[in-house]
Amino acid sequence: MRPEYNTAEPTIVHIDLNSCFATVEQQARPMLRGRPVAIINRRTEHTMIITCSYEAKAKGVKLGMRVKDAKILCPDLVWLESDPAKYKFVYHRLMSIMQDYSAHVRMKSIDEGVIDFSETTAKIAGRSIVDIGHEIKQRLWDEVGVAMNCNVGIATNRFLAKTAAGLNKPNGLDVITHKNLREVFSKLELIDVTGIAKRMEQRLNAVGIFTALEFLDADPVTLQKMVYKSICGLDWHQRLRGWEVDKRDFPLKSAGRQYVLEEYKMSREKVLQRLHHLAEETGAKVRSQGLVARGVRVHARAYSHEGRGWGGSYWHARHMSAMPFFSNQAIYEQARKLFEHAPEYVKEIGVTCYELSEPDDSQLSIFGDELARDKAITSSIDSINARYGKRIIHSADTLLTNHNVKEKIPFGSTRYM
Amino acid sequence: MNDETFLNERVQVVATFGTGLNPCVPVKFKRANGREIEITEIGLRHPTIQGKRTVHMFDVTDGGADYRLEFDTERLTWRLTMEGDRL
Repeated sequence: MRPEYNTAEPTIVHIDLNSCFATVEQQARPMLRGRPVAIINRRTEHTMIITCSYEAKAKGVKLGMRVKDAKILCPDLVWLESDPAKYKFVYHRLMSIMQDYSAHVRMKSIDEGVIDFSETTAKIAGRSIVDIGHEIKQRLWDEVGVAMNCNVGIATNRFLAKTAAGLNKPNGLDVITHKNLREVFSKLELIDVTGIAKRMEQRLNAVGIFTALEFLDADPVTLQKMVYKSICGLDWHQRLRGWEVDKRDFPLKSAGRQYVLEEYKMSREKVLQRLHHLAEETGAKVRSQGLVARGVRVHARAYSHEGRGWGGSYWHARHMSAMPFFSNQAIYEQARKLFEHAPEYVKEIGVTCYELSEPDDSQLSIFGDELARDKAITSSIDSINARYGKRIIHSADTLLTNHNVKEKIPFGSTRYM
Repeated sequence: MNDETFLNERVQVVATFGTGLNPCVPVKFKRANGREIEITEIGLRHPTIQGKRTVHMFDVTDGGADYRLEFDTERLTWRLTMEGDRL
């Protein structure tokens, strides 16, 4: 463990698109620039806002707020349904720009990525990393559009680079080094620190840490033994001092999809069709990573007793198989059986595959022929769908669900982009 | 409010094909009702795959309203698919 601050030259660049989906919409539709815009996933007033523009945020509109509530705060709010194709295009443009500077690029989500120059410092010799940050901002304006603003954060590790990217929104460029680290932290609230949410704030408060600066000054034993009660406490001690502890990839442990039903008290037949659709999308996700699954988990949220309100009871069930599986039909069959015990009227359903692993073809199975046939059919369908578009071939059962269960962009993982 | 009107209207388009990152630039289009719209800015152009066809989506404006034009690269046709409210 290194108790001192990392005094090395900063080599990590964090790029964060400002209010990504709303900014892309304002880029695509010039008449929306300067106006409050909210992006939603479904055309109804009861849906939640997933992103909003800075003009909307200035009027008090927040992420997660319902459209009907936001309209009270901001009557001229323009709401648009999300358009994944547009966001994917901008994501790929941003990634392509970043990859021009280093092979060590990691996209953290659809709207942010990290360039690690720590192993390629020779490549940028003679150029300041701040100049590269300004150049990336300029290229984003030139190659995507003038409304595309991004924040650039530069530091010695990923955590401080992300913190730097959040200091001056929108359109900032900030550098955190050992020289200004204390000054930056003195201006931050504890809750502003990336990775510190309400509950963690309470745990830190319980040991007398109330400010970001006190968190920075906390001794490693307190963090390890009293706050985190694990090695994570030591990681935080290093992370705050600019040492890299987050340069690692996590294997995919589960893949799934959930859906909020579009009708009140939907019939079980229709719910199962949507469950089938989710099972097909989940299967495609698992196979796209070259994996097989052994477990299926389904969940549902029932209506509350008062009626349509949120907060209804949560139900889930899961099943673990002895043999791994990968086909849509295998996933759906298990999900359907599990769903027999679900509450009668539900408003949200979801399917998740877990215990994911690489396929092990070395072990012979007595169901070999059947598995080989299943594999051949599934791989042919996947090839056709990859060539001609998603869900060109799907089960007849889900013929009517395509219009409702649309593709959405998940926050977080970019594995499926 | 949502200010989009979705359409599926064949339109005649004057476009230039040059070089660079965005070689195809629609300049103006004529709607079925005979109205001509001069494009003042292309907001974003992005490709989408529809079946085996690539369709390029052009989000454009004439300075008063936003429009979406779709160029089907297989059929070489242009369609107006969205019109935003005029400010």
